Amino acid sequence: MDALRVIEVKKSVYANNDLEAQENRDMLKEQDTYMMNLMSSPGSGKTTMLVSTLERLKEKIGIGIIEADIDSDVDALTIQTTGVDVIQIHNGGMCHLDAAMVRQSLDDIGSSKLDFVVVENIGNLICPASYDLGQNLNCMILSVPEGDDKPLKYPKMFKKVDVLLVSKIDTTSVFDFDFNALEKNVRKLNPDIKIFPLSAKTGEGMEAWTEYLLKKIENGVHT
Amino acid sequence: MHELGIVIQIVKQMENYMDEHDIKRIDKLVLGVGELSGVVPKYLRDVYPIAVEESKLQNTKLELEITPGIGKCQACGFTYNLVQNDNICPKCGSNEFSIITGKEFMIQRIHAE
Repeated sequence: MDALRVIEVKKSVYANNDLEAQENRDMLKEQDTYMMNLMSSPGSGKTTMLVSTLERLKEKIGIGIIEADIDSDVDALTIQTTGVDVIQIHNGGMCHLDAAMVRQSLDDIGSSKLDFVVVENIGNLICPASYDLGQNLNCMILSVPEGDDKPLKYPKMFKKVDVLLVSKIDTTSVFDFDFNALEKNVRKLNPDIKIFPLSAKTGEGMEAWTEYLLKKIENGVHT
Repeated sequence: MHELGIVIQIVKQMENYMDEHDIKRIDKLVLGVGELSGVVPKYLRDVYPIAVEESKLQNTKLELEITPGIGKCQACGFTYNLVQNDNICPKCGSNEFSIITGKEFMIQRIHAE
């Protein structure tokens, strides 16, 4: 038996994923496809918001949805009603998606023929924050019932995202939700974040958000 | 199960590393886990045997080096342990800080053949 030697590896555990994410990013750029990583808690109204967004964009651009769920296809079926291409990933109990899983789904859904792909990540504000998928835009949804103090509890997620959608604003009067407090908490972590208050149910704020998104998609891949 | 996915990724990464560097066997794998990395050392140890099963790391021992979560107070500049002090500066009571160490999650080194 040879003698053991000590090798200093000094590599981030996420290095592999970061590499695969970069490959996704390069591939999407080549395909001229814009990808958004959508994250939130369970029950934030992610699928409802997504459906409402799709209804406003689907006539203008080619869209595909990668739907991640631990063990059901309820959300995928809901999204299918919009007529947009959707793929369901069951990732067997894992709490986040990684770049390799997304790559597989991009190939399956045929991302090269699409303008815009949304990855609806697993509903959780912790683990998805650690994984780059190769997206062009990180977006999270915070619903009013969750409270304005969420940024204090999940700082990593609020630091990572480019866009924050504050959903279910039609319920603001029911819950003790303070927008100024939220914005203060969020900006402390992430001064450049874009914030859109909206309600998929009443349609309030949806136009501002989808206009912003469409502009991003049109310019995004090249910037 | 956050940790299981992570460890499986580490095993894959190390198997590639072994191929690239022509390493036959790893006796011990040393991971550096920051207290603020969001990874729970106990769970890492629990899932490790499952993750290495039937891999090139099947007989590799796991060792964890824990890095403390240290922050610097933005108000008074004092450096303190964030975990022990609940993120509150023991000197001036401010909860504004920048993290100095403890976020890292690294493959530190291997004892290899």
